[in-house]
Amino acid sequence: MDTILSVLAVFWVLIIVSYLLMEKGLGIFGQVTRGLTMFLLEKALGPGSDLVEGRKGSGSMVWIIQGVLWLFISSTLTFIGLWLAHDPVALHSLEAWGYHPVSSEFFYGGKFAALFGCVGMFIIGTGLHILPNLLEVNLASEKNAVLTSFAWTLSVIILVIGSQNNEIGPVNVILLGTGLNLVVTIAIIANQLLTKASSTVELATPGWLIIFGLIGNPIAVISVFLSGEYDSGLGQWLVYHLSGATFFFSSIAGISLYSASFGSGNPLWSRTVAGVVILGTIFTINPFGNSDPSMAIDMLGLTSAELILSHQDNVAGSFLMALAIIPIIALSSNILITLRGTDIFVENPDSAGIPEINFGAWMLLPLGVASLFIQTDTLSGTNELVGISNIVHLMVIWTILIPLSMGAAIQVLPSVSGRYPLSQNRARLAFWMISAGALFGLVLTMMSDIADVVLIEASIEGQNALSHTLRKAGSVIFYGTVLGSIFHSTNLFSGLYRGSKVSSTKSPSETTFTIDSFPLTSTTTIRKILATGAVLDTKIVPTFESNERGNPTSLHEEE
Amino acid sequence: MSDNTSDKIGQFLQGEKEPSSSWVILVIGIAASLSFLVIYNVLYPGQDLPVISSVLPMFEGVFDSGIWFFILGVLIGAFAIIGTILTEATIE
Repeated sequence: MDTILSVLAVFWVLIIVSYLLMEKGLGIFGQVTRGLTMFLLEKALGPGSDLVEGRKGSGSMVWIIQGVLWLFISSTLTFIGLWLAHDPVALHSLEAWGYHPVSSEFFYGGKFAALFGCVGMFIIGTGLHILPNLLEVNLASEKNAVLTSFAWTLSVIILVIGSQNNEIGPVNVILLGTGLNLVVTIAIIANQLLTKASSTVELATPGWLIIFGLIGNPIAVISVFLSGEYDSGLGQWLVYHLSGATFFFSSIAGISLYSASFGSGNPLWSRTVAGVVILGTIFTINPFGNSDPSMAIDMLGLTSAELILSHQDNVAGSFLMALAIIPIIALSSNILITLRGTDIFVENPDSAGIPEINFGAWMLLPLGVASLFIQTDTLSGTNELVGISNIVHLMVIWTILIPLSMGAAIQVLPSVSGRYPLSQNRARLAFWMISAGALFGLVLTMMSDIADVVLIEASIEGQNALSHTLRKAGSVIFYGTVLGSIFHSTNLFSGLYRGSKVSSTKSPSETTFTIDSFPLTSTTTIRKILATGAVLDTKIVPTFESNERGNPTSLHEEE
Repeated sequence: MSDNTSDKIGQFLQGEKEPSSSWVILVIGIAASLSFLVIYNVLYPGQDLPVISSVLPMFEGVFDSGIWFFILGVLIGAFAIIGTILTEATIE
């Protein structure tokens, strides 16, 4: 049996067993396990648990707010990495302090900050709100959720430091960060599973995506170790992609589907297509990510091995990656059609978070195909596209993972904090700066990378002026992303204190399939109202338009 | 004197609104400063500016890349975020 299928077989078995245990419970051990886990989540923390109030929604809010801070840090690190790529001595004055800044190290640190700091915290924070809402219960332990957020941030700080210098004395810094990260992940999984265990409500598809995203990451690591492939290049490549498929893709699919429905007021376009996302995520190999799995290798403290494939592995890997386009298309279409299900989205284009989800959903397919080409190229050993692997990975992070997770987090934040962002205009400006800066900045850098790849293949030595100019322009344009993240941060922080209050912190529309009220702006049919998820108790609220003649806005009063 | 009275005196002294033309004074001030710098260069050609010319060489080799302008913006942004958190939390 070839390596890929043997590792995946273990992974699939473990996932199915986990699903059955979650559905059927642990039998007579269930009550004991719940009590013990609850004890470990709260009482075992000792006086630490008394430091926080444990107010409803506080866990989710703290994770999201810290994620916003990591958004700013990750964009700054990535910007400096892009700049140093065309001007390697730009920060040489820092060498006086013994620090030697290198572009690749900034990219590496930026990826840790973006993936685990920003995206990871958005995913977990949003999930801490969504899952209890879908299950119609409270989160098992808000206190634990709040406390673990700080431990997670500490782990990301350690990972970013490790990306600059992995060996400090005898300590493997990245492995240390991973260990702390793993402890928090286990606590979050326990918290979410306890929440699920306390509910009798059937969990909607987005909830399952979030759960599989959480448990899939450790299961992927366990699978590779159980199958004994952790020291082979293929096993390391596989664990990198399985972790990405579960924690990042599956979780983001769950939170973005929920937020697309919640934000637009439309029910999910298709439950079946959402189910395809779950199956596709688990039973295929997600192509997103770098062709070099060094991030997973460093995090697991392994020694990098050469990627050697048999013909069978090559065929199985390429086939399963090609199949991964199905869940990618399914997710993209489900989000986009849900957002446009009725005219509600068109009437409320300023709703913060929705543009980010829209943008991320649009970018899924083109970057999915691009990643597929790069990974197939690596698996086949051709290695012609290795030169653009890093930039495509950055594009995946900045135009898919961050927009989708951030959009969902911004949608959820008012529900947990009780207030909207301070200014919708500033949120919209920040969206344009982040998305346009990331898209155009990274596209120009990709053009430069492609030019370099072509020149290297043609054996032309020396620096190419066009490539250099493109790289410079790309880094400057990406600065818009840094500015956008600053605008988002200040807007969301101010909104926590001075934003307009949410009239009701919990509305039935959060349950995805029913809505509390339907704004009637024009003549419509009952079929269309019912299609939005309305039930017999839904209120029809007439929203009248003013017939007054418009006038120029008076900027200041004359005395 | 009651707090109410002191408020009124403050309003009397400073007014409640900024005149729309006050920025003109600021622009005139900046333009005048630049003009005097030009005149200095005309009157004393080849002479370094006092104080500034002795301070700037300290930064030679340190801020000699355009990235520092962007990093300055990042630092301002970082302080804006920290300032927002602190002021919003303590404003009341």
